[in-house]
Amino acid sequence: MLELDEKFFGRFGVEYSPNQIIFCEYEPGYEFYFIQKGKVRIVKIINDREKTIDVLGPGDVFGEMAILEEQPRSATVIAIDNVRVLKFHRDNFDALLAGNPQLAYKLLLIFSKRIYDQKRRLMILLLEEPSVKVMDVLIMLAEQNQQFDFEGEITLNTTARQVASWAGMAESEAQKELTHLARVDKIDLFEDRIVVKNIRDFQRVVTSRRKNLYS
Amino acid sequence: MTNGIQGGIRPRSYKAGSIIYFEGDKSEYVYILKTGRVLLTYVKIDTGEEVKEEVRQGEFFGVKSALGKYPREETAQTIGETVVLVLTLGDFERMILRNVNVVRKMLRVFSNQLRRIGKTVRTVLGESENVNPDLELFRIGEHYFKAGDFNKATYAFKKYLEYYPGTEYARIAMERIKTISSGGPVPSGGGGSDDLGDFSMESDSDDMFTFDEAPAPKAQAAPKPAVSTKTEPAIASEFSSEMDDFLSDDNSIDDFGDFDLDSEPSSAPSGLKARFDEGESLFKRQNFPGALEIFQGILDGGEPAKTGDSKYFVDSHYYAGVCYYEMKKFKESMNLFAEIIKNRGDSEKYKGAVFYAGQIFEAAGQKDKAITYYNKVLNITPNDSLNGMALDKIKALQRGR
Repeated sequence: MLELDEKFFGRFGVEYSPNQIIFCEYEPGYEFYFIQKGKVRIVKIINDREKTIDVLGPGDVFGEMAILEEQPRSATVIAIDNVRVLKFHRDNFDALLAGNPQLAYKLLLIFSKRIYDQKRRLMILLLEEPSVKVMDVLIMLAEQNQQFDFEGEITLNTTARQVASWAGMAESEAQKELTHLARVDKIDLFEDRIVVKNIRDFQRVVTSRRKNLYS
Repeated sequence: MTNGIQGGIRPRSYKAGSIIYFEGDKSEYVYILKTGRVLLTYVKIDTGEEVKEEVRQGEFFGVKSALGKYPREETAQTIGETVVLVLTLGDFERMILRNVNVVRKMLRVFSNQLRRIGKTVRTVLGESENVNPDLELFRIGEHYFKAGDFNKATYAFKKYLEYYPGTEYARIAMERIKTISSGGPVPSGGGGSDDLGDFSMESDSDDMFTFDEAPAPKAQAAPKPAVSTKTEPAIASEFSSEMDDFLSDDNSIDDFGDFDLDSEPSSAPSGLKARFDEGESLFKRQNFPGALEIFQGILDGGEPAKTGDSKYFVDSHYYAGVCYYEMKKFKESMNLFAEIIKNRGDSEKYKGAVFYAGQIFEAAGQKDKAITYYNKVLNITPNDSLNGMALDKIKALQRGR
């Protein structure tokens, strides 16, 4: 984790109360934030509904796009509970980097991971059939845990709701697909987890569908 | 983090056409091209198109996948005799820690990539590409305004004014902020259904509420879908933030001084019922100020010790709220209904309080907000006469006045 906390908090620390907006989608923004305490929701208004895209907690960074680009914010960030952040203006970025090179490294790690996660999600969304999308979400979740042995049963701590969110579909639709997979004995469904019997099966299906997409 | 003490950056030579790594490989090495040529080949995920990119001398490659600890997304192949520097993550970290400019450059590349992918994701999800940020920012304010989430609406409108003053919508944004900060409604006339005849609104007499009826920039949104799947506590908590917003501004309780209560200390439990009955009797005779005095007295006595009396205490909130409503003191009224909605979800007056909240928003000219509350009434069991009234209200509001 980042080790500049206390020293910097005095100068750059900001606190937010629950449900307070930290910044708003489409607002021009020149600051980026490190969460020290509490959780925030990343939301977007889509078709006049507020949708939560992500929840971030201590150690996470948001608003980082503002460091280098002249673009309005791409989402709204709202404090969930009492939130404490370090808020840095892009103009201080060089000084900040010079004084805290480990921050630079951390940012690179964050960007790398976020790019990959987004690409991976895009790959799921580009699949056509809902059933295949659901399989690919399960594969993605399995990939996230390096400890998993893909040859055996894999237990994923996830829910239909989360699967739906990753697959960009309604929860009921994801539930339907998962129920089907359970019925044909490919997975076991529990309230808080999904056990995949043979993730290689899913990989084969998804790989073949993905190939067909472009042919 | 890898500490890479064993480090020592090693050059490695490749013959022409060698593969440095394949797509899908996992490795934590980062490379710098020293001499020769390296070609990166990858498939674009959205089009399936194969893309070839040449690394320039002195450039890093393989950084993202090494840092993110995920499989290589491209195949790296040499063209001609080539020398690369192979860095462990530890080497890489130490190197960039000494060279902030390299980091800046990489971050710029990464953030460009991230934004491009984000854009594609949004397109695939069917979100329209933003036409122009200023209008979109305004719309976010409108969204929260209509949802009754006034703190968020105020934030968005204020930001809008800050960045886009002098535009057409700036005027509306300003009006919205004024509307919110005035914290109270302007009665828009009309409104009582038959059963609520007692509570019909008289002409506008209260100039402290100056709600501006600014036109919405786009078609009125449909009311929020009913929250039918939610349980009552969930509804209550959803209300609570809205209530706070409604009440947040200069919500002076000085007005209570007007009633000049010689605060009878909360008397014997038996006295409570008697006083309540007296208040109710005045209330039924539509002596609202008189009834209010009694109900307010009960409230000032605080939560009764005897649990059996707690019903009178809660109901006093309700009746006092209705009295205030009748007297067009909407803020005070909302305060009391909010108490029931937020903290007394099990009260039999809960549904009535929600209905009144709808009426107050309606009186405030906040049509969508009012509809939202009437919708909530429809979802509270049991099905009773309030349902019919709420439905009529919704229909009338949706026809538009």
